[in-house]
Amino acid sequence: MTIHCSDLAKVYEGGKSGWPALRGLSFGIKPGEFVSVTGPSGCGKSTLLNIIGLLDEPTGGAYRLNGRDVVTLSDEERSRTRRDEIGFVFQSFHLLNRLSALENVCLPLRYAGAGGDEMRARAASLLARVGLHGKEKKTPLELSGGERQRVAIARALANSPKIILADEPTGNLDSASSREIMDSLFALNAEGITIVMVTHDKELAARTGRNIRMRDGRIES
Amino acid sequence: MIRALLNAARSGAAEIWAHKTRSILSFLAIAVGSVVFIDAFSAIFHTYERLERQREFSGLARMHIMANQAASYSSADEYVEPPTFGYEQLKKLREQAPEFHMISGESRSWRNIMEYNGERVVASVNGITPEWMKRDFGYTLKGRFFTWHDVDEKLRVCVVIRRAPPPPGSKTARKAYNYTAAYDNLVSHNDLLGKTVKIDNLTFTVIGVAEEFPFSKRMQNFSGYREQVKLLVPITTAANYGLVRGNGQMEVSIDAGPEAGFEDALRKVNNFLKITFGDGDFFLVENQLEEIRKNMAARLKDAFVTISLGMLAFIAGGIGIMNVTLATVFARTKEIGIRRAVGASRSDIMLQFMVEAVLLGLIGGVLGSALGWLWGVPLKVILGMGASPIKPWMPLLSILIAAVTAFAFAIYPAWVAAGLKPADALRAE
Repeated sequence: MTIHCSDLAKVYEGGKSGWPALRGLSFGIKPGEFVSVTGPSGCGKSTLLNIIGLLDEPTGGAYRLNGRDVVTLSDEERSRTRRDEIGFVFQSFHLLNRLSALENVCLPLRYAGAGGDEMRARAASLLARVGLHGKEKKTPLELSGGERQRVAIARALANSPKIILADEPTGNLDSASSREIMDSLFALNAEGITIVMVTHDKELAARTGRNIRMRDGRIES
Repeated sequence: MIRALLNAARSGAAEIWAHKTRSILSFLAIAVGSVVFIDAFSAIFHTYERLERQREFSGLARMHIMANQAASYSSADEYVEPPTFGYEQLKKLREQAPEFHMISGESRSWRNIMEYNGERVVASVNGITPEWMKRDFGYTLKGRFFTWHDVDEKLRVCVVIRRAPPPPGSKTARKAYNYTAAYDNLVSHNDLLGKTVKIDNLTFTVIGVAEEFPFSKRMQNFSGYREQVKLLVPITTAANYGLVRGNGQMEVSIDAGPEAGFEDALRKVNNFLKITFGDGDFFLVENQLEEIRKNMAARLKDAFVTISLGMLAFIAGGIGIMNVTLATVFARTKEIGIRRAVGASRSDIMLQFMVEAVLLGLIGGVLGSALGWLWGVPLKVILGMGASPIKPWMPLLSILIAAVTAFAFAIYPAWVAAGLKPADALRAE
């Protein structure tokens, strides 16, 4: 199992007893799977993705990533795991607008201790791989939505992660760009990368190997 | 680690550059603090340097015997004629204190007339002994100086002082300097060595011409005061021919030698005065070591007041940096989330904000050091205040203090930034 959750719970603080976002989820994801997570707004999809991506911590249950209990890890170890084993693609891209496309892709490499021409060459080849050759020096504001998302994918691939977590990756894109992004994700999946994608789009969800449907913090099916 | 620091410095510099106005405002107070610190450092350094120079130059174990006129009027019934501390007493004191480095008696006049080649100029005579050379002798001598023979025989010989050009600086100083221009002109335009001049209508032979060191090379004593001397004659000659005030009465400067024996030396001199002149307190012994120490304490106190002002400026600057960094953290919450998502750890985020703040402090320190130098050297010279001695360690130390201040005040905001949860930070707009 790449991802293994049992009885996963998340209660946000607030109110008397808090607000439960996840109420006991148990599932596993095998290496190389392409899993979509669907469900109405507020059902806990993003919270689940954040916990899988180590951006947030569960308040109950167990989560094992590649066989390792990651709930009890220190911040340093969680950050390293996030950096090396997981790539993120967000709905609103989450690129740093001050930096060029190349520098955005360099960011995870820098945190991994890389630097110099070697690092820039790797970032450039990643950009070329997502079809952005020649646009390395452009800032996100100078790129179209589809191009920005491709920069984000290149960034997600920087440290060769085994898992990509995508939170509504096509939510802000027109249909042509959406198709391109989805093609990229399917191509990555074909190379063996495990992909977990949150989406509203039932059609997209139907194209993935497996769909987890959520409602009120629980798995419906 | 070094690469992480470099990365943080790069992105910090970019951030500072991207928000120029905000950055300038936040390091301005630090810069002001640096200027004040450099000024204070230089004042402290200057004080010690002068003290050291005085020690090397003429020693600190100095005292001065002066007539106490009040003693003559202390009785309700009669005016007591003050006794004379003359050449005889000076010799007796010398016999009793051969270990003293210098016992230099001197008597002065208000006004004498010197005549050479029919030209008459106002001059004033100092009656002295050979030991006068052990005072702060800042002259190049041509010819010879007085011998004890000259003094014992009351010979009519003199040494003329040729003054160096006036110091750079304020007009007032220059004006005060020029009040005996006629004498100075006469001495500088005639080679008087070996010639005969008239002082108050008596003929004297010029045995020496002493040329003042140029202003830049001149030694200044601790108080910075230098008496202007023009015409020197043996003290006995001066008294004998009535060239000076007070009928042979002299003031005596004493250099007891090493500072360690100063208290004993002081006691010795006071005993000598008591035995020679009785209990009337007709003479006072001024303890110059004490004066110097008091003076120095006052200067240091001033410098520490300045340093406290600098500290206040630094604290204000630190609070400014803290404020800006905190604002930056809130304005860049999303960026923090993004960086966390791509693998930055808490310590990476902390480092980034710390480095950015320390950079601000460093820039402030460097700017302040530059301004401090501009103020201490060219500006003060233009204003006629004399350049401050600024040594390389002063700007370096104030830059270091600026950086440390920035560091200390950035800890809290950086800690806030590092404590943000990645998921929450990503949700920020």
